[in-house]
Amino acid sequence: MRPINDLIQKRLFMASMIVTVIFGLLFFRLWTLQVVARDEYVNLSNNNRIRTVTTSAPRGNIYDRSGLLLANNLPTLAVTVDYQEINNEEMLAELAKILNMKLAAVRERVNDKKYAPFYPRIVKQGISKETASYIKENSSNLPGVDITTNFYRNYPKLSLAPHVIGYIGEISQEELAFSEALTHTSGDLIGKSGIEGEYEEILCGTKGIKQFEIDRTGSITHMLDEREPVAGNHVQLTIDSALQSATESSLKSAVMAARANGYPDANGGAAIVLNPNNGEILALASYPTYDQTLFVRGMTSREWESLNAKGSGYPLFNRAVMASYAPASVFKPVTYVAGLSDGVVSAKDSFLCEGTWLGMGEMWPKNCWRKEGHGETGFTAGLKDSCDVVFYEVGYRLYKRGGERLQHWSRKFGFGKATGVDLPSEVIGRVPDRKWKKETHEDLEEQKWLPGDTVNLAIGQGDLLTSPLQVADLYAAIANDGLIWKPHVVSKVFTPEGDEIRTAKRKKLADIDISKDVLDGLKKGLVSVIKEGTASNAFAGFPVPVAGKTGTSEVKGRDDFAWFACFAPVNNPKYVVVVMVEEGGHGGSIAAPAARRILSTAFNVSSVGPVSVSDDSR
Amino acid sequence: MRNRVYLNWFNYINRGLIFTVLAIMLFGNLMVYSATHVYDNPYQFLQKQLVFSFLGLAVAVGFMFFDYNRLRQFIVPFYVLNIFLLIVVFFIGKDVYGSTRWIPLGFFNLQPSELAKLVLIITFGEFLADRKGDIKEVKDWLIVAAHVGVPMFLIMLQPDLGTSLVLLAIMLGMLSVSGLRWQQALAIFSIGLSVVFAVLKFGLLHEYQMKRILVFLDPSIDPTGVGYNLKQSKIAIGSGGFLGKGLFSGTQSSLGFLPVRYADFIFSVVAEELGFLGAGAVLLLFLALLIKCISIAKSSGNLFGSLMAIGIGSMWLFQIFVNIGMTMGMMPVTGVPLPFMSYGGSAMMMNMMSVGLLANIYAHRLK
Repeated sequence: MRPINDLIQKRLFMASMIVTVIFGLLFFRLWTLQVVARDEYVNLSNNNRIRTVTTSAPRGNIYDRSGLLLANNLPTLAVTVDYQEINNEEMLAELAKILNMKLAAVRERVNDKKYAPFYPRIVKQGISKETASYIKENSSNLPGVDITTNFYRNYPKLSLAPHVIGYIGEISQEELAFSEALTHTSGDLIGKSGIEGEYEEILCGTKGIKQFEIDRTGSITHMLDEREPVAGNHVQLTIDSALQSATESSLKSAVMAARANGYPDANGGAAIVLNPNNGEILALASYPTYDQTLFVRGMTSREWESLNAKGSGYPLFNRAVMASYAPASVFKPVTYVAGLSDGVVSAKDSFLCEGTWLGMGEMWPKNCWRKEGHGETGFTAGLKDSCDVVFYEVGYRLYKRGGERLQHWSRKFGFGKATGVDLPSEVIGRVPDRKWKKETHEDLEEQKWLPGDTVNLAIGQGDLLTSPLQVADLYAAIANDGLIWKPHVVSKVFTPEGDEIRTAKRKKLADIDISKDVLDGLKKGLVSVIKEGTASNAFAGFPVPVAGKTGTSEVKGRDDFAWFACFAPVNNPKYVVVVMVEEGGHGGSIAAPAARRILSTAFNVSSVGPVSVSDDSR
Repeated sequence: MRNRVYLNWFNYINRGLIFTVLAIMLFGNLMVYSATHVYDNPYQFLQKQLVFSFLGLAVAVGFMFFDYNRLRQFIVPFYVLNIFLLIVVFFIGKDVYGSTRWIPLGFFNLQPSELAKLVLIITFGEFLADRKGDIKEVKDWLIVAAHVGVPMFLIMLQPDLGTSLVLLAIMLGMLSVSGLRWQQALAIFSIGLSVVFAVLKFGLLHEYQMKRILVFLDPSIDPTGVGYNLKQSKIAIGSGGFLGKGLFSGTQSSLGFLPVRYADFIFSVVAEELGFLGAGAVLLLFLALLIKCISIAKSSGNLFGSLMAIGIGSMWLFQIFVNIGMTMGMMPVTGVPLPFMSYGGSAMMMNMMSVGLLANIYAHRLK
């Protein structure tokens, strides 16, 4: 036996080291692929082999409170081309001839990037039954061509309540990213605004799914899953179509009247009718308005731009819940309740209005809307004539009391927070206070909360911002002795078979403790506004007792905004009505007449009153 | 002494080696079946592979029962026959996938390049052992270059870059163990590097070979071709996870996403269906096989035997690393089969001859 030399022994030891290192590398790589990155590769593997083709489900209908159809679906016949045949020029040319389309247009449709790979391409929608049967009879010449039934959204009452119902449109990439849980895919139509948007998951139904396993060449090896589409659920609204229609036309008339009365910039407004006993919204209008049917078959980019252009007045914007404004005098009831409840004023107090209030000193005069003054005025009478001096004084006393009591009461009535209405993009508005001012302003001087800030807040001006819906809640609270029900527009959800699966229950939003004396005084004041005050012209001869308040808010550089808010009948309130016209001038002359016309329809009163009256109060 | 060894079977047979090889082969046959059972004739590939496996076993046994030192007498005819076959393949060779590698023998297609590996191991082993593992003269270095260069060149012409690189690996492995100095190793390495550079630079490679190397460097340049294979292989392995999708249940495999899965990508099938456990087991078996090669080289009292064991080990290590590394995206996609597992007759025969030779070296370790 001849032993091999030591050098080779050493080198063989090195060799085993090298082998170990190389296998270590292989093990490490195997571990990263199979254990660390497994999920990613499982995903890729499934993408490889699984193809899902979906069939759309009919969308649920939308009804008004009495069961009148507001939105439904109409079936339409569509021609599709299988993805495997999209380069079959001969067939496409034949199909173009049958559909009376240009070949280039057909090609464009089948090559549309929006289609997920492997999905059938829709070439034309809404073809006639004759064309459909012709295509079916000639299927041997048209490989991969199929006829499917699609649905398109239909609004039978045309453009009634578009801001409540909303519109549908093609799902965007961002929305797609957020809807992982849903079965949405690129190209789907989904609710974009209003009820269509807010109740998308209820209305959209569940798509039918066909899931295949395919091999490398794309041929189907077997079916993994097949599910029929499930139609979406129906939604019933609290909206009363007749009242809605009246509300929309009254609002429009108010805007037109404002323009005719020397306010040429009046071009937007909102109106709400609310049942204070349960929070049901009976009508909700925003002006300008738009035609939802534009969205159904896809609009041109020019049409879309015109709806969002600067001069358009932004018709898609729902001013009743998405916009906030200074409420001006319609806010005065809050100051009224705060002043009496906190004891800085008594109902018997009287104030002297000489047109200017100098409570903060000669240096800081504040004007009443009535330059010549209201003279000796009681606290409650201050509401009737909307005397600013009375409310400046109360505001100032509340300021001196400290503790931001006026803000406290504002928030109690729901200002500065969402009402939670079941409509998208609700604004929360703003109740300005010390903290807010400090955080918002950069300049040290401007960060300070001044007495004038509270004084301005007392008449609903300054930095206060509220949506028309929040104002409606304020008047609902007064009508309902401090109790606010959460406003809502959906009353029921039911299945296509008619089984009710959800019924809106009234939900308490706030229960404000206001003494009966204060409430009685407030109601008396608001009744006097209608009977002999700033809305007396608008409501002359109206047979139902109404309690309300006008408002005219000042916005720097723009015309005044006209407000009116009321409830009726006074002793058993059924309706709260709020009307606001942007740059429409005075509340008493423009907004109040519109509210009267709405109430005329609600109470079926023949006297609708004038479109506008003269009232220069604020 | 010799008679005593022959009579003592316990000492004669390296049971660890036999067990390891049988286990890998069994795994291989099972996976070849799993990779092809969805075909119209589900047993077509398995049957052939089983036949090769049994033939291989017979050949291995045959290679055990003689004194391997007698091979030293035949190295010249071996070498000449090898070169002859590598040339003949160009004249009567069968063209598959654009390269000419096989000589049709009716029942079986002979792949001379497979045989060339073993011939190189034997002839180069004798050459080195003859010089006691130490090469000093320039003349000898020229002989080394020609010894390996001629078959490498012929195989590269087929073209079969992978197999020609196996020859280079065998030579380097054997040289290293026999006493290559680090300066020499550096010189060979730099020459090799400049050759590779020249080949790339002057386009001596076939277009598809260039593409494979470029795709390895950047898989996104060819997502449907070579890059596709690599991507699908990684998907198969990665989606197998720890426990695998189950034997015969690999979707990447059965739905045809994996390319030539019964041959070069057999490891991907194992990893997809049996997961990290199964693929790891295969790696462990291969590791055991290589450690066996080294320990046989160590135990041999004969430099010729040690060098041949190392040559066989180098060949397997290179093939295992390149093949498995390729399926996992660590190596370029070159057509190097996985020993005992990839479908293919010539490779199986050659590998089993190597096993027989190893067993032979072990059996005569005391000589």
